[in-house]
Amino acid sequence: MTQQQTNEAFWRWQEYQRVMPNKSWTKNDIITAGVDVGSVGSKATVLVNGEIYSWSITRTGSNSSDSAAKALNWALKDTGIQQSDLKYIIGTGYGRVNISFANKALTEIACHAKGANYIWGSQVHTILDVGGQDIKAIRCDDTGRVTSFLMNDKCAAGTGRGMEVFADLLKIPIEKIGEMSLNITEEPPSVSCTCVAFAKTEAMGLLRKGWSKEKVLAAYTKAMAIRMSNLIKRVGLEPALVITGGQSKNIGIVSRVETALEVKCLPIPNWRENGIDPMIAGALGAGIYAKAIYDKTQTTRD
Amino acid sequence: MKNNTQQEKDHPSKKIMPETTLKEIKELNTTIKTTSEQIITQTISHLKKINPNRPQEMEYFDELANMFGKRTQELEQYKAEGKKIVGYNCIFAPLELIIAAGAVPVRINSGWYDTSKLGDRVVPVEVCSIIRSTIGAKMIELSPFLELSDVLITVLTCDGMTKLSEILGGYKKVWHLSNPRIKDSDQALKFWNEEIKQIKNNLEKLTGNKITTKTLKPAILKTQKATKAFRRLQNIRKDNAVISGQDALLVTQTFMWDDIERWTEKTNILCDELDRRIQAKEWICPPDTPRVMVTGTPMFWPDNWKLPSLIEEGTPKGILVADELCSSERLLYDPVGIDEWTMTDMLNAIGERYLMACTCPCFTSKDGNEDRINWLLTKIKDHKIQGVIYYVTRGCMLYAMEYTTVKRALDKINIPVYYLDTDYTREDTGQLKTRVEAFLEMLNTQIDL
Ligand code: SF4
Ligand code: SF4
Repeated sequence: MTQQQTNEAFWRWQEYQRVMPNKSWTKNDIITAGVDVGSVGSKATVLVNGEIYSWSITRTGSNSSDSAAKALNWALKDTGIQQSDLKYIIGTGYGRVNISFANKALTEIACHAKGANYIWGSQVHTILDVGGQDIKAIRCDDTGRVTSFLMNDKCAAGTGRGMEVFADLLKIPIEKIGEMSLNITEEPPSVSCTCVAFAKTEAMGLLRKGWSKEKVLAAYTKAMAIRMSNLIKRVGLEPALVITGGQSKNIGIVSRVETALEVKCLPIPNWRENGIDPMIAGALGAGIYAKAIYDKTQTTRD
Repeated sequence: MKNNTQQEKDHPSKKIMPETTLKEIKELNTTIKTTSEQIITQTISHLKKINPNRPQEMEYFDELANMFGKRTQELEQYKAEGKKIVGYNCIFAPLELIIAAGAVPVRINSGWYDTSKLGDRVVPVEVCSIIRSTIGAKMIELSPFLELSDVLITVLTCDGMTKLSEILGGYKKVWHLSNPRIKDSDQALKFWNEEIKQIKNNLEKLTGNKITTKTLKPAILKTQKATKAFRRLQNIRKDNAVISGQDALLVTQTFMWDDIERWTEKTNILCDELDRRIQAKEWICPPDTPRVMVTGTPMFWPDNWKLPSLIEEGTPKGILVADELCSSERLLYDPVGIDEWTMTDMLNAIGERYLMACTCPCFTSKDGNEDRINWLLTKIKDHKIQGVIYYVTRGCMLYAMEYTTVKRALDKINIPVYYLDTDYTREDTGQLKTRVEAFLEMLNTQIDL
């Protein structure tokens, strides 16, 4: 696992790349890629015959196309695969239209459902994707095809970006936030407003009042989790439920969503050792669609 | 209505708007008008660019799309000749009576995004964007149609319209037209017919022209012909597309300020061209393009126009083949049905056409607003609709609240419906694009694996 160490700020999550162990490829294989340029993170996957081979997670810069290139190059690193070996590339996410080297663009909604279907299997029917700038509740069928979806307003409230702001405010590394928010004796009432700007002021007020960081975090996390649960309720929860995107690893969020909905999410595969980070679900879905669409172009040509 | 005479006397003493200096009004007017004219030109040339084989007969409507252009000059000319201009804010205003009185009807709802920000100075942002924008347009005297109106027929359908009427009443003579909230009762129809009669009397007083069978009959025939041309266009859109939804919407939109007779003629000529295209099988999109319908709050030219292009120009592309908007298909869908050309019959028929045929969510009945549901179901079947976008601009409680009922009805027939909420702003276009495209992907069989 390659990691870029950047510890100058608390909100910074780690960018990293991995190549799946015990896999190989040859020039005859159909190699495709998916690139998901989100507002906060850019993710890329490389698939060999429709199976995940390598992937990367990076921070999105100011330019979507550069961010996409950076993510893809990193996913290709140490694999021996060249970009010219890629048969088909699909771009997705907020910056999808600006990825110059992609063959096609699909929305992150279609791609997240497909990716979740790959990671967890056909039992997944509801997906909560918490991205950097928005939340999506997606329903899909056994094949990972979207049947309905809802998206919150474009607003950082209750999103990954909101969490970053809080990490910075409380000076807690972002990876620790979930655990810390659970480190309380009694669940406090949730903050009244998830709007980042207001919540920040409210949080500072609570700290001054003598609340511990943990308690403040719990109150904010709870408010976010309620927002997310409401979106899922509106789209209609059909088990099994999974969470994708950056917040899928935030145990504070996951457990509170589970409580609010009275249902367990499917556990995340052991992503740190040998599995797939649910943050790449969108890029993964894009890579899968890339393979399928490539196959289709081949059959129509014959 | 009884207080109208009283009100006319009071006018224009009451002013709800904040004091705005003449200088500021002038400056804002110039800036926003210039921007708006640019946007209109850009939108039209964009429509030409994306569809090089665009129907030639769209040219007439393209020109009409410039609200500050020829049509405004024409209205000024009418006024100079002593004709009266009657503005209206909602499709409940009986056009036939206006025409019969020798006056000219124009709709005055605002589609300008920039003026909705000005409206925020007068009413809270929670208020419907259309209302806020219309207030802002009045504040800086932007809308030629509103400014040229001698009188406004303001229909009190929702809270926003009711209070808008008061605000506009500070500037213009207004005739309130109050509609019942239930259609299917005798007392409702009776009340409504009285309201219509009052409008008739007011029109006669304003213009000095008595509305007689001699003048009303040709007026009714005129709108009947318009309805016929309009239905012809809708019929063409039932099968493989020869006209984009954006173009069709522009045609219906311009009806709101054009001369009705000329509009009818031009629409028929356009339909002739479209018929030839059907003969030649000149479809404007592949046959498997998802067929979409829009229902919800009205969309007004020139700015509140982002949805049609998002549907038809995104990845993947859809085709807008029908709508249930009071700024488009609902304008003209129903003709005035006459049995006998007597005054009583004609007035009753007008009353009925404007009340009974209307599917606006301001109505309710025993089974909810069932007329709207039935209308949607018929449209879905006739136009082979695969998905419905439920469009709500911020602050419209009526459409927002009726979504659940509509969704339930469409779920039953397995037609996906997507709730798209937006505001009078360009800022959310990126996010709307993702939402519309994801919906189209859902409908698109091509990405089926
Ligand atoms: S939505 Fe209803 S009330 Fe509003 S303008 Fe249209 S018909 Fe009138
Ligand atoms: S859009 Fe809704 S709130 Fe606005 S004027 Fe029409 S009915 Fe009233």
